[in-house]
Amino acid sequence: MSDPLLEVHNLSVLFSNAGHEIHAVRNLSLTLQTGEVLTILGESGSGKSVTLNAILRLLPENGTTVSGKVIVDGQDVFAMTNREVRAYRGAKVSMVFQEPALAFDPMFTVGYQIIETLRAHRNISIDEAERRALELMELVRIPSAKVCMRRYPHEMSGGMRQRAMIALALCCDPKVLLADEPTTALDVTVQIQMLVLLRELQRELGMAIVFVTHDIGVANEISDHVAVMYAGRVVECGAALDVLGNPKHPYTKALLESSIHGTDRGQRLPVIPGAPPDLAEMSQGCSFAPRCALANQYCLRELPDLRPVTTNHLAACINI
Amino acid sequence: MKNSNANKALFNRDPILKVTGLNKVFGRSKGFFGKSTSLVQAVTDVDFEVYPGETLAIVGESGCGKSTTARLILRLIEPDSGNIIVDGMDISKNDALELKHLRKSVQMVFQDSYASLNPRLTIGQAVMFGPRTLGLSIVKAREIARETLSNVGLDPTRFEGLFPHQISGGQRQRGNIARSLAFRPKIVVMDEPLSALDKSIEAQVVNLLCDLRDQYNLTYVFISHDLNVVQYIADRVLVMYLGKVVEIGDVGSLFSNPRHPYTRALMASVPSRDPKIRTQSAPIMGDLPSPINPPSGCRFRTRCPYAEDICGAEVPLLTPQKSAGGNQVACHMEKIGSGHSKGGILDE
Repeated sequence: MSDPLLEVHNLSVLFSNAGHEIHAVRNLSLTLQTGEVLTILGESGSGKSVTLNAILRLLPENGTTVSGKVIVDGQDVFAMTNREVRAYRGAKVSMVFQEPALAFDPMFTVGYQIIETLRAHRNISIDEAERRALELMELVRIPSAKVCMRRYPHEMSGGMRQRAMIALALCCDPKVLLADEPTTALDVTVQIQMLVLLRELQRELGMAIVFVTHDIGVANEISDHVAVMYAGRVVECGAALDVLGNPKHPYTKALLESSIHGTDRGQRLPVIPGAPPDLAEMSQGCSFAPRCALANQYCLRELPDLRPVTTNHLAACINI
Repeated sequence: MKNSNANKALFNRDPILKVTGLNKVFGRSKGFFGKSTSLVQAVTDVDFEVYPGETLAIVGESGCGKSTTARLILRLIEPDSGNIIVDGMDISKNDALELKHLRKSVQMVFQDSYASLNPRLTIGQAVMFGPRTLGLSIVKAREIARETLSNVGLDPTRFEGLFPHQISGGQRQRGNIARSLAFRPKIVVMDEPLSALDKSIEAQVVNLLCDLRDQYNLTYVFISHDLNVVQYIADRVLVMYLGKVVEIGDVGSLFSNPRHPYTRALMASVPSRDPKIRTQSAPIMGDLPSPINPPSGCRFRTRCPYAEDICGAEVPLLTPQKSAGGNQVACHMEKIGSGHSKGGILDE
C-alpha cells in the first residue's frame, strides 16, 4: 500500500480550565488512504469532533494541550507556521459542519461567500471565480444554481444550505473532506440525499472523507472503514463490513444490539447499563469496564491497547 | 402479535382523546399599513382519535406540524379552530376549570430535558410541584414524588436533592418523565423524548416507557422522526406532511404496506441496517416546501413522483382503504375515478 494520505499518530488532546482537566482524546491513531471513507462512530463526548478539529488545527490554543502528530500528504500539520496552516486549511483538508446555518455568514449571499473563498485561496479574477462557484453549486446538485448564488443563507432550506456548505468546502479541491455530523440536523429524506451525494462526489473527485457520526445507520450507508470511539479512545477499527457486520469489542457489540429496530417489536431491548463516563474523572483501566458485561479485575487495572483480531480489524479489549 | 389483538379490542371503546378539524395558523397579525404578513399554516384540518391504552405515534419531517399538534392538544398554544375532546370533555374552549382538568389528565414530556426542568428546583422539588398544585400536602406530595422517582429508575434518596445540572442527560429525561407522571395523567404527550439522548441510553428509556405504560395504564401520543423507534413502540401511526395528515393506520399494516407516496419515501429513506446493503438513490429529492405558501391541492405533489394535474387542483381527502387494513390515506391514486391516471390502481 502507498503512503497514507492522512496519518494521525498518538493524538492526545487535554483541555484544562481552572484546575479541571479533561482528556478529550487519548492516544488516537488513524490512517486514511486516498479515495476512502473513514467513519468515526461515537456518542457525544467521545472525542470525535475534537479529533476533526485537531486535524484542522482549529482547537483553541489557550488551555489546550495537544500532543502527537498529524501528517497530511507528507506534511506535519502541528509543525506548520500560521501562514502554512492558512494555505493548508481548505486546500488540502476542508470541513463540512453540522449546522450549515451557523457556518455561513448571514450578511452575505451564498454565492458571494463561495467566490470570496475562491479568491482568497487562488489568484483568479472575479469572473473566473464566479464561473467556478457556479460549477461547484451545480456539482453538489443544487437546482437552478444561478438563482441560488444570489440567495442569503436564511433563504435556503436546510438541505440546500448543507449542499452549499459542501460546495464551499470543495472550493479548492481538497484531498480530504472532514464531515462533522453533516446530516444530523437534516430530515431523513434529505439525509439520504446527502449521503448519496457525498458518496458520488467522493467517487467523482477521488477525495477521501473522514465522516463523523453517532448514527449507526448513517455509518452503514457511507463507510469503507470505521473507527468506534468511546471516552476519547478508539476502541475498535477496521473495514466497515467487519466492524459493523461482525463487531468484536463489547462496546460496539452492545451499541449495535441496543440500537432500536422496528422489527424487534414485542421483545425487550437489550441495554447498556449506566451512562458514558465523565471525562474529567478517568480511571486508569478500560473506560468501558464499569458498563461492560465481560469486565473483570484486570479491565479496571490497565488500559487495553488496540490489538488485531484479524489482519485489518483491531479492538482494544483484553477479553478478545 | 399481541399488539394487533389488543388493538381490535381497543377500537370498540370510546376514544380517550378525539381531535377534530384542528387548525393553527401562525403570524396572523397585520403588518405595516394593514398589509397581511405571511401566514404559516402549521396545522390544517387534523382529525384523529386515540384510544385508552394505545400509543399513537405522529411522524413526519421537521416543520410538518407534529410538535404544534402536540402543543395544541395541551392548549399550550391556542387552536384557531377545531375541537379537542379529552375523556368526553371538550377542552378547546377557554375555561380555567377545564384547563385544570386537562393539565391533570394530559401531561407532556419535551425533547430538551434540560430546558424543561427549572434549574433552581431539585429533581425532587420539580416532581413534587405537580401534586402540590393539585392541592396535596407537602408530606403527601413528597411521598408521590419519591414513589414516582423510583418507578422511573431514579433512586429517590440519591436523586431527590440533586439539581438538573448535576445529573446526566438520560437521568434528566427520567426526571422529566417522573415530573409528568406525578400528576397521574391518563395521557402523556411526548415530543421527541429520545432525540437528545445518547445512543447507548436510548434503549434504556424506551424500555422504561414501555414499562410505565403498563404500570400506569398510560396512553401515549409519541412524536418522533425515528421510524425504527415508532415501529417498536407505537400501536397506530399518523403521518403528517406540511400540516396535514397524509396517512394514518395500524403500525403493522402501515409499515408492511405503506400506501401514501410520502409514507413510502419516508420509510425508504431510513438508513440501512446492514453495511452490505446501501441505498443506491434517494427515494425523493428536494426539501420540504415552506409552509408559508403550501402547494395547492395535495401538499406533497411538488416532491411526488406520481403527481398529475388533479393533484394540484383538488385536495385529496383522508379515506379509509379496505385493502390496507383500514388505514386511511389522503392520495388521489387511492380512488377510482379521482381523475388520476393511476386512480384505484393500488386497490386492484
